[in-house]
Amino acid sequence: MSGGVGESVRRPDGPAKVRGEFCYAGDLTAEGMLIGATLRSPHPHARITRIDTRAARALPGVLAVLTADDVPGDLHFGLTLRDEPVLADGVVRYAGEPVAVVAAVDAATARRATQAIEVGYEPLPAVTDPELARDGTPLHPDGNVYRHVSYGCGDPDARGVVTVENTYRIGMQDPAFLAPEAGLAQPTADGGVQLEVATQWLHSDQKQIGWATGLPPEKVHVQLGGVGGAFGGREDVTLQVHACLLALATGRPVKMEYTREESFLAHRQRHPGTIWLRHSADADGKLISVEGRVLLDGGAYASTSPVVITNTVTLLQGPYRVDNGRFEGWSVRTNNPSCGAMRGFGVPQAAFAHEAQLDALAAALGLEPLEIRLRNALQRGDVATYGQRFDAPTPVREVIEGLQAIPLPEGIPRKAPGGVGRSAEGGEIRRGIGYAVTIKNLAFSEGHVDESTAEVSLCDGHATVHTACAEVGQGFVTVAEQVARTVLGASTVEVTQPDTLIASAGSTSASRQTMASGTAVHRACLAVRDRLLDRVARAHGLDAAELTVADGVVCAAGKPLTTVAEAAPGQIFRATEHFQHPDTYALGSPEARMYVGYGFSAQRAVVDVDVELGLVSVVQVASCQDVGAVINPTQLLGQIEGGIVQGMGLALMEAVVVRDGLITNPDFQDYLIPTIVDAPEVVSTYVTDPQPGMPHGWKGVGEPPLCTAVPVVAAAVRAATGLPLPSVPIKPEHIALGLGTAPTVSWTTPRPADPARAAQVVVDEEPRDALGTMAEEGAAPARH
Amino acid sequence: MSDQDEFVTFSLTVDGTPREVTARWSESLLTVLRDRLGVRGPKTGCAHGRCGACAVRADLGDGDPHVLCSCLVPAATAAGGSVQTIASIGGPDGELSDVQEAFLAEGAVQCGICTAGFVTAATELLETNPEPTRTEIEEALYGNLCRCTGYGRIVAAVETAARTRREQKSPVPLTTRELAASLRTGPEEAR
Ligand code: FES
Ligand code: FES
Repeated sequence: MSGGVGESVRRPDGPAKVRGEFCYAGDLTAEGMLIGATLRSPHPHARITRIDTRAARALPGVLAVLTADDVPGDLHFGLTLRDEPVLADGVVRYAGEPVAVVAAVDAATARRATQAIEVGYEPLPAVTDPELARDGTPLHPDGNVYRHVSYGCGDPDARGVVTVENTYRIGMQDPAFLAPEAGLAQPTADGGVQLEVATQWLHSDQKQIGWATGLPPEKVHVQLGGVGGAFGGREDVTLQVHACLLALATGRPVKMEYTREESFLAHRQRHPGTIWLRHSADADGKLISVEGRVLLDGGAYASTSPVVITNTVTLLQGPYRVDNGRFEGWSVRTNNPSCGAMRGFGVPQAAFAHEAQLDALAAALGLEPLEIRLRNALQRGDVATYGQRFDAPTPVREVIEGLQAIPLPEGIPRKAPGGVGRSAEGGEIRRGIGYAVTIKNLAFSEGHVDESTAEVSLCDGHATVHTACAEVGQGFVTVAEQVARTVLGASTVEVTQPDTLIASAGSTSASRQTMASGTAVHRACLAVRDRLLDRVARAHGLDAAELTVADGVVCAAGKPLTTVAEAAPGQIFRATEHFQHPDTYALGSPEARMYVGYGFSAQRAVVDVDVELGLVSVVQVASCQDVGAVINPTQLLGQIEGGIVQGMGLALMEAVVVRDGLITNPDFQDYLIPTIVDAPEVVSTYVTDPQPGMPHGWKGVGEPPLCTAVPVVAAAVRAATGLPLPSVPIKPEHIALGLGTAPTVSWTTPRPADPARAAQVVVDEEPRDALGTMAEEGAAPARH
Repeated sequence: MSDQDEFVTFSLTVDGTPREVTARWSESLLTVLRDRLGVRGPKTGCAHGRCGACAVRADLGDGDPHVLCSCLVPAATAAGGSVQTIASIGGPDGELSDVQEAFLAEGAVQCGICTAGFVTAATELLETNPEPTRTEIEEALYGNLCRCTGYGRIVAAVETAARTRREQKSPVPLTTRELAASLRTGPEEAR
């Protein structure tokens, strides 16, 4: 039947979007609506000596001014550690921290009211260096280390003939979704509150609103407002709680919408970090040992820092077999902007570093970049450094071979490096070709329950699908429709707007929603189909086991009997089904199962570099990705292209510049994201080795392209320039002035692994349980 | 109260309908459209002229309508002028225009917050240049940011729309009549 799984079905919300009629959270209005605004700290670290709201309250048109004293419930929220005040609590710990919120009749009055609030600050020293923060005076009662992880496997002191080490730096990337945060809160008749908001995770918002308002979950209704991109940046609460508090305080609908500048200040960024790696290999390039150390700057509050750090540390091995290693990492609190989830969740940092190391090893040994990767490629059955066996298809070799089959671009370059930034006559242009291969864990990890629930009904061939899965642009609505067409033979499908009237779908993150919510929808569709077939069987006196649905037709023993649309006129069939991945456990647990699954990706980048101006043009990125199954070829390509360009942004231009705790470029004038001129041609191919336990063998695809694009673009620029380039973003001055330290290459005396220390994972330190929301979704973190 | 806060009243034609507006001097055309007139097709991505989500086609009184960032235009300078938002773009009988159709077919829409701006800019491009090269497409659209698609599908959509238009070779009204009427007649249109 047309419109099913495997076809390039168009987005059901597409027509409204191309007409400009789709309602985003920023478009919401309500009768009698007030506008909310936020007063933020101008200091990265300060004690609040007083707050005087009298002048603000006295302004005509101002209906509420709230500070920490006005929060009726628990002042603290957060995705993991609950260490962040809803409104500043005596101390501000980052520039931009909300201090007070107001509701007024219009935006100008609300803004004026925030300016009329008098706040006395006693500035404190801002600790902005994560290394100093790690060992320094606590900036918060919970201390400065969000999480420290440390483990080893095999004999970390084993050596091959060559050993390569270097320190790599990754800058702070902003998700920069194009629609700033927005939401509309309204008091409900039962004394509760309803919020329509652009979010990634409705139930997490609901829970955190409940904490601050003191309301039970059944009095906090969260509905998805239209979302203009997310990329992890909407996983944490920003204005959700404030809008609800203001609506409850005023008894009126309150709309909040951030400016672009506020958006930079308010949401979580990608963790900037420093990674030291030492790889040792034998003369054939086979990895003998890997040692790594990571320091991530988590900023002022925890968000997901305790989870991100294990992703970075454990995946330092890359998609390669590593029997001997030693790994350690910290995510720490500073007075910089808070960091949290962003597409890739700690892995782009690891990937940038390990791929630079592989290239350095290959260069030292005179091997081709892909050859050294093939020689070390993980295979099914191998065991990760953290003890988990790769027990599902592990097509690393296959994605590399798939990449090799893509021809190089031909012809002369169409444009000079630099895009719109090019302002001078250039110098010599050199072409470079680079390669990268990555591993990305898919779905929630380390005991954070990964689940979803779907309600599906069918009547006269029309299916309705309801989940709490946030559509943020990725195209889940299309996938849900395709599944309903394929399984149920539905002729029309409506995917209703997600809300908290159904159980949690978890976050739209971690490349997980096709796997979690898609599978829940698939199960509910199967149950509905069986109910329909039972009814048809009874009506026709047949055995239901003989009935099937194909292309919208009910068949008995393969012969058409009736259509799905006409099979049971006027009757409704309905099912609600749940899906949950098998349990995962914290790093170091005896179960040795941190991750649900993985996606692998190989890319090749071709760049032209103006070596004098330091400008780069990415000509082409070729990609071969392990995708399980192709559910919607056009949407899949959209994920690959979008991820590659976002990764290229981190590699070449995107950096939130933080000076003394202040963001100096919180706008699109100075924070540059790739434009259409910067975007390369993308050639995308796939390996489809079905993921066990998943309908159609599907798996998540959204993050791997970004994870690989960061190292691949850097590798190509290195190839063009011969420079080491150990930091991203690679800035023009890095190229033009040759900044950056090259890896240290030493020829070492081989020292085979001590068999007595063979292949067991030793965690040096008890892993700290991940606390708070994600764990409370049902996890029982392992304790030893 | 500063001058910026003083109110002015003026008239403006929006999507063919004459409207009366009272707004602060300092307000942008985008704010007037969205917050005062409830015209929500143009979107706010940055409010400082760097993303194109707010793009509209406007005649600011000089008889030369073109696509601009409505967040950068002080609303009062549009007094007496005429603005065509995404709501003015469409095919005959309420169908989608060929550009809109191509955006859907090629997967150029994900979250869609940039889409109205891209469709507006691409529509103008194809009216002035029915056979744009890839470089010309980039030149016409580099003021529009998209964070989701990586632009590949957007380029494909514009190329597809141009190709379909050439293949149909008929001067069908590709936008509303009103929009078509505002076109300068060039050799392509005269064909
Ligand atoms: S909102 Fe006008 S250019 Fe961004
Ligand atoms: S589709 Fe989301 S910004 Fe373009």
